[in-house]
Amino acid sequence: MLTSTDRPRNDAASAVTGVRPASSGRTRRRRSATPYLFLAPGFALFLALIIYPMVRAFQMSFYDWNIVAGASSKFIGWANYVQAYHDPIFWRSLINSGVYMAMTVPPQIILGLLVATGLRAKAPGRALYRVLFYLPVVTSWVVVSLLFRYLFADVGLVNYVLHGLNLTNGSTSWLGGRWTAMVAVSALGVWKGVGWSMVIFLAALQGVPRELEEAAAVDGAGRWRRFTTVTLHSIWPSVVFVTVMLVIGGFNVFTSVLLMTGGGPADQTQVLLTYMYKQAFSYLDFGYGSAIAVLLTLLVFVLSVIQLRIFRQPRIAGTAS
Amino acid sequence: MKLRRVRPGAIFSAFSAAVCVGIIASGCSSSTSAGAASGTASNPVTLTFWGTYGNGGNKAQTGALNQTIIPAFEKLHPGIKINYVDVPYDSLLQKLETGAAGGTLPDLVRSDITWVPKFASLGVFAQLDGVMSNFQTLAKADYPGTLATAAWHGHYYGLPLDTNTRVLISNMRALSAARISSPPATFAQLQSDATALAAKKIPVFADSGLQAWNILPWIWSGGGNITNPQLTSADGYLNGPKSVAAVQMLVNLYKKGAIPNLITGNTGAVSTQDGLPKATYADILDGPWMHDIWAGQYASFKPVYSPMPTGPGGSVSVVGGEDIVMTASSKYQAADEEFIAFTQSATYQLAMAKTGQMSVVASLGAQEAAQVPYLAPYIAQLKTAKARPAVPEAPQIDTALQDDLTPAFTGKMSVQAALNKAAKDIDPLLTAAK
Repeated sequence: MLTSTDRPRNDAASAVTGVRPASSGRTRRRRSATPYLFLAPGFALFLALIIYPMVRAFQMSFYDWNIVAGASSKFIGWANYVQAYHDPIFWRSLINSGVYMAMTVPPQIILGLLVATGLRAKAPGRALYRVLFYLPVVTSWVVVSLLFRYLFADVGLVNYVLHGLNLTNGSTSWLGGRWTAMVAVSALGVWKGVGWSMVIFLAALQGVPRELEEAAAVDGAGRWRRFTTVTLHSIWPSVVFVTVMLVIGGFNVFTSVLLMTGGGPADQTQVLLTYMYKQAFSYLDFGYGSAIAVLLTLLVFVLSVIQLRIFRQPRIAGTAS
Repeated sequence: MKLRRVRPGAIFSAFSAAVCVGIIASGCSSSTSAGAASGTASNPVTLTFWGTYGNGGNKAQTGALNQTIIPAFEKLHPGIKINYVDVPYDSLLQKLETGAAGGTLPDLVRSDITWVPKFASLGVFAQLDGVMSNFQTLAKADYPGTLATAAWHGHYYGLPLDTNTRVLISNMRALSAARISSPPATFAQLQSDATALAAKKIPVFADSGLQAWNILPWIWSGGGNITNPQLTSADGYLNGPKSVAAVQMLVNLYKKGAIPNLITGNTGAVSTQDGLPKATYADILDGPWMHDIWAGQYASFKPVYSPMPTGPGGSVSVVGGEDIVMTASSKYQAADEEFIAFTQSATYQLAMAKTGQMSVVASLGAQEAAQVPYLAPYIAQLKTAKARPAVPEAPQIDTALQDDLTPAFTGKMSVQAALNKAAKDIDPLLTAAK
């Protein structure tokens, strides 16, 4: 970028002044190398810390991997992927990850948007509420996971409150069954994630032109109509971004499940990452663990592409109109 | 001007690249220790020893090791220094895995007994029998069940370092509420206690899972077994009539509400650690470490220790603890063997027993009980305690037991069918281990 825009300007300058450019060929080469040299450290780290482990994991997924340094590993082709295909716990983990994503993404978007809209207006204590809503985002996953484990314990606050409201008999074993445990884990995910969505939406809402909203109001559009046709339309790229990121994050749920249920009872609440972790670090089956990781990567990639294609259409239509 | 624009970037890039290469290179290189296999007083070798003695901030154990035991060893062996590195228990397995992958393992490890077969099968831990000249002598002094934890494929890859087992621990306040005067000594008494405690809505027994550590004391005491002695087949043993009867007894108690769903993996249930002292539960099975935990958290609670309830197969509990192992990559194996032998001495064993780590040497039991009285029931139980199947796939066996037995407790499957499935799932794991 630097060289392509600079060179014509220098040439033009020299043509006007009639002065020969001071830069020699060697200097030009140095200057053209500059951006690459600046990029080199980051690129080297990217290669070493991101690309290399990914390629290595992909390679490991085709082996009965021996973790010992220098030891040979047996190439087993697609066997780890075939194992996943026949493994009921893998499929259960996949479904649980999908359920978690479905249970957490829409509430985070809706509540995040709601809170952002509410906190957009100038009101007393606005900054305080913004901080309070964002606070869960910056708290430790470990701490809040343990906290939610106590809240959803058999003798925890949730049962106490529900019993007090006569909604249950107060003896629900939230973490003792698959779906009740998924509700508990998802509740944590929503509570912790709303603040992040709020911040993104809040930033996007700052860019919505007031005059458009005012014009819509003058045209007789009600509050809901103004929100859907003006506000939502204006922040659509942010909605797409938040959705894609939350879906990716939903499939990557790990710490909360590990600490709240440990994947139990009886592997009923395993998600893809906890199951992958168990295979790799409890069973030392890094080949199978890597295969699960590769499958998760592919799944997330495909879902992201699909989402981007789906979400692109309304924006184009909106722009055309 | 142009040079100024170029040079800092180039220098920075070159420097960064060099750092990156250095980091990558250091990450890939294996640590190699220079020096001879054993040192001298003027030029000693240093053995790195990874352990978990300080887990949970236990300064008593690390203090005994660093201030008493290691100095005593170094005085006897002036050519050897011990560098003890304390690792949190939850991190040690992962640290061993990454150490094995990166070639950065220490010389000696205090390994959980359940990890030994796996790392032995991978060639990470070194074989000791046939290598250490005094191995047989040292091994014979240990409890048989404890020694079995270090075996893999006909050889030993470590020696027991400390041991423990589970005994019945009761809350007399809970039992007294149902006018029960003593902890249950037999399976029959446990069941009659359950009936008496039902009126008070106190579960007679609680445990936190159905894995080998949890379920095998009941199966063994019931006269059953998990596998054949050769550890090659679970079919016919785990699903044999005596094993089925033992598990059926627990399932019956569960269905009556006499065992809470903590046993099927409800992490939201009251833990045994809190439930026993609060009299939420009447009896649990647990290890000697609970004594110190309760002393700190529930000072007024007086736990009563008694043997595992006797069934048709006797009173048989399960062995826990750690083994001392030497890594195959250690450059100082002769020195390692000296330290391993020292860990079996009365000096080491009794010093650690004072801090709550039970001795593996059977003949030291009386002295150990004299200096730490609450260990006496555990020492007695260890005489009949058995090791869980010492195979590389032990974690998968635990998963199979937990996953396959849970439906029997929740009523989705009969006990016989559940144990049949567990045996079917475990058999390939035993075969794979060979």
